[in-house]
Amino acid sequence: MIRMRHVWPIATNTVREAIRNKVLYALLFFAVGVIGVAVVIASLSYVEGQRIIQDIGLASIRLFSLGIAVFVGVGLIHGEVERRTIYTILSKPLSRSEFLVGKYLGLLMTVWLQLACMMIAFVAVSLATGAPLSGGHVAALGLLGMELVVIVALATFFSAFTSPLLASLFTLGIWGAGHLSRDLYALGQQSGNESFAGASTWMYRLLPDLEAFNVSVQAVHGLPIATSELTLPILYAVGYAVALLIAAGWIFQGRDLK
Amino acid sequence: MRENEDAVVEVLDLIKDYRPGFGLRRKRILHGVSFSVQRGEIYGFVGPNGAGKTTTLKALMGLIQASGGQARILGCDVSENDFREHIGFLPENPYFYGYLTAREILDFYARLSGLDGQRRCRRVPELLEWVGLGEASESRLRTFSKGMLQRVGIAQALVHDPEVVFLDEPMSGLDPIGRKEIRDVILRLKSEGKTVFMNTHILSDVETICDRVAIIVEGRIRYEGRIEDFLHEDDLMSDVVLSYLPPELGEILEAKFGARVRGVGGRIELRVREKQVSQLLRLGLEAGAEVVSVTPHRVSLEKIFLEAVSTSSSHLIRNESARKGERS
Repeated sequence: MIRMRHVWPIATNTVREAIRNKVLYALLFFAVGVIGVAVVIASLSYVEGQRIIQDIGLASIRLFSLGIAVFVGVGLIHGEVERRTIYTILSKPLSRSEFLVGKYLGLLMTVWLQLACMMIAFVAVSLATGAPLSGGHVAALGLLGMELVVIVALATFFSAFTSPLLASLFTLGIWGAGHLSRDLYALGQQSGNESFAGASTWMYRLLPDLEAFNVSVQAVHGLPIATSELTLPILYAVGYAVALLIAAGWIFQGRDLK
Repeated sequence: MRENEDAVVEVLDLIKDYRPGFGLRRKRILHGVSFSVQRGEIYGFVGPNGAGKTTTLKALMGLIQASGGQARILGCDVSENDFREHIGFLPENPYFYGYLTAREILDFYARLSGLDGQRRCRRVPELLEWVGLGEASESRLRTFSKGMLQRVGIAQALVHDPEVVFLDEPMSGLDPIGRKEIRDVILRLKSEGKTVFMNTHILSDVETICDRVAIIVEGRIRYEGRIEDFLHEDDLMSDVVLSYLPPELGEILEAKFGARVRGVGGRIELRVREKQVSQLLRLGLEAGAEVVSVTPHRVSLEKIFLEAVSTSSSHLIRNESARKGERS
């Protein structure tokens, strides 16, 4: 059973730790800088300068959000064990799963906070250059926030039992594979090979389908986005993250903290 | 397992095996450790480095899982969580979030312990004053000395007013004044009716404040009993630390009392028989010296400890727990 009165102090403290981390500010300022640089790059083009600004803006928000989530997330649990801060925390009446969920929510709030800052920069640049803003942009950024729900859960999952280096490699690897999992599935179905088709189907079920959260093209080109394209990914993200956190909690519960 | 209603900590045949690395054979760290701690006492868990003290404490705190045996605190298995509302824990060389202030970290632990806002507002400043950090409450922990961090550690262990307090090497690395302050805190806890379990390898601390002691060597309990059980009047010694001592006085004291004298950073430390302490202090004070500390020291505990360390693993000196096991 997860009790919020135990989870919330861990989560808020994780946010506080991130807010006081100067490296994260550097990453955030760099991200905002890249969004601003898009204006310069767009000025070199004769056509569709506004679209280029928004393409670069959304892509850099996606990459920097991923970077921040992985950078902080992979050391989330490992750092607490290495510094032994976890000893005094777990001597209090909270379970290891509550600690894990608290760290997860804290990191998620942190990356969402950073995402909000980058969104403000994106909107400011769009308004300054006269680039059109629509509900599609809100949907694209909202779904990016839901993709982060999965990425942060992946980072937390690997952080629960492995080193930051391996956790970052695994998380980035699954992020890459997650964006290709639809293509892998389609390839398996078209291959005509039964065993490859079966394997690709299982891979598609196991890996996160991260392309489900990518509606950037529709947003930038002003194409319509169906309601199901919003609701299903939200449910999918929550379900996938909960499954990962249950698995992480189970592994972490049996781990000796030396 | 509950043999004694007054026992707040009961450990029976605790075993811990570790695998040193992938593919390597398991190594046994704890070989059936058994002991019990009674309500209201200060219990010293003594042993050389690597004896299994911290492993035992980690198993009690649920940080590692025992490979065998049982451990219960306040009647609850240590794998449970809710009894932790009634225990406090200070790990060895505690580390805290350096970006928080002393007040913030205590507030954090108080929230984890389930204290509501009103209780936190009252308890946190009260406890900071209690451990002597009232004036440093708004300073970041990264600026704190080791002694100050140790006091923060004690404060977080006590923030929810627990019944039982577990301390892992609480005086390790502290100067004599810091050690005395922590000793005073532990004695105050006892006077408030709390039970204290203390891991240490500093025998003088054990002699001064503990009611009972267990000696653990190579993962086995070699001795468990009351301090008085091995106390003889002839063995009563005291370590006296004096400062600002005139240079010639050290030699005089050494000759007069047959004391062992050693200089420690501008101070002088002498070990004398307890009945000679008042005479020594009088002489020192008259010569203009200042008394830093007087610590009773029982040679017999040192003897037993050294004997236990050097004895072969199969030979147990005395083990009350083992006798209890036979009786039951």
